[in-house]
Amino acid sequence: MSALRWTWLIARKDLSVEFRSGGRLLAMVGFVVLAGFLFGFALDRSQVAGRAVVAPLTWLTILFASTAGTGRIFDAEEADGAFRHLLLTPVSRPAVFLGKTVANLALTWLITALSFVVLTSFLGARVSGSLAAHAAIFLPGTIGLAATGTFFGRMSRHSSLGDSLLPLLTFPLLVPVVFFGATASARVFVGLPWDQVSGLVRLLWAFAIGSVAVGAALFQHVTDE
Amino acid sequence: MESTRVRTAGLVLVWAGVAAILLMHWMVAFWVPTEAAQGVIQRIFYVHVPAAWTTFLAFGIVALASAAYLWLHDERADAAAVAAGEGGLIFGAIMLTSGPLWGRVAWGTYWTWEPRLTLTLLLWFTYLGYFLIRGSVADPRRGKRFAAVVAIVGSLNIPLIHVSVSWFRSLHPGPVVIKPEGPTLHPDMLATLLVSLAGFTMLFLGLFALRYSVELVSRRTLAVGKAAPAGGVA
Repeated sequence: MSALRWTWLIARKDLSVEFRSGGRLLAMVGFVVLAGFLFGFALDRSQVAGRAVVAPLTWLTILFASTAGTGRIFDAEEADGAFRHLLLTPVSRPAVFLGKTVANLALTWLITALSFVVLTSFLGARVSGSLAAHAAIFLPGTIGLAATGTFFGRMSRHSSLGDSLLPLLTFPLLVPVVFFGATASARVFVGLPWDQVSGLVRLLWAFAIGSVAVGAALFQHVTDE
Repeated sequence: MESTRVRTAGLVLVWAGVAAILLMHWMVAFWVPTEAAQGVIQRIFYVHVPAAWTTFLAFGIVALASAAYLWLHDERADAAAVAAGEGGLIFGAIMLTSGPLWGRVAWGTYWTWEPRLTLTLLLWFTYLGYFLIRGSVADPRRGKRFAAVVAIVGSLNIPLIHVSVSWFRSLHPGPVVIKPEGPTLHPDMLATLLVSLAGFTMLFLGLFALRYSVELVSRRTLAVGKAAPAGGVA
């Protein structure tokens, strides 16, 4: 069976488990809605325009929600020993990593779409620029988030520091994603032309491809028992 | 025997490094000319730049030793990574403290979100994570492996920090020593900088060697303790 087929099977299995149990997804959705609610309350919109802050706050909400969620991607399988059995199958480590990343990415996309709707609504920011332009920025950014979260989520699962360690490991690496992503989104929000955004999107793609490649190459070292 | 030789070499390097750093302080206080634009505050340069060089050297050694550990599973490589990592955190703290003090006068602010500063701070946090992950995993071998991976991933930041001055708009000055047309620094300033670089490098390598020898001894002691029969060694 090809690595691509394994990747798809693992992703589909993870998503089936996720949608059947729903716990992690529900927690991430709840987090996004409450974060938007709190940002809406905390910001004095007579002083700060919603449109000026909606892009960075959306990216930060996605980062925090995905970090909270991706840290749990291995939990169910580790708890009943299924992950060890998965490693005993002939499936390659990169395929396991890619499958997990694809599953994480699907959840991150849901969170991204929800964050975008919630934050623009609660902050009263009119959506300017085409949705396709926003999606073209979020796509590489979320790939980088999902790949990095999957890779380090496996490590934090074995740490006694648990979820408190994951941000320390991932945030330093994800700063470029948040910086380039939030800057690009902010430029689309204020209606700047695409040629002032495309350079940032290329950097996001470079990070996405790099994080997937490095994660796939090194994943065997965080899974070998 | 190996740890004794390393310890002796470490002591020699530490004392040589301390002597060079004392000489550098004398040169900074009484010999080197004052820079025209920034005045006396520019003399932090002779601490800040060597601390930065030593930090990147240390984190580079961590990454190389970590790669060697993942490849060869040799405990000595992991011990070298730990020893260099601790040095990197200490010299990194010196760099991250001296930089803002200089920046307060030169740029008018302790901190600014410019690429080299930001990336360097993030690198320091990544290597803090290196120690946290290795110490928080119940299985020590797994902890070492995870830490090695963190070190390798974190080291990808080092070349980015180096080129960030050229790639992005940055308040950091461009290179003044390693340039295609040769150094543009005043010869006395260059001499002071080279003495400081030699001092910091020898001090780091000496501390690295001492820490490495302690790490080797402690691991051997642990291994002997595990190999001893239950009830202790008679």
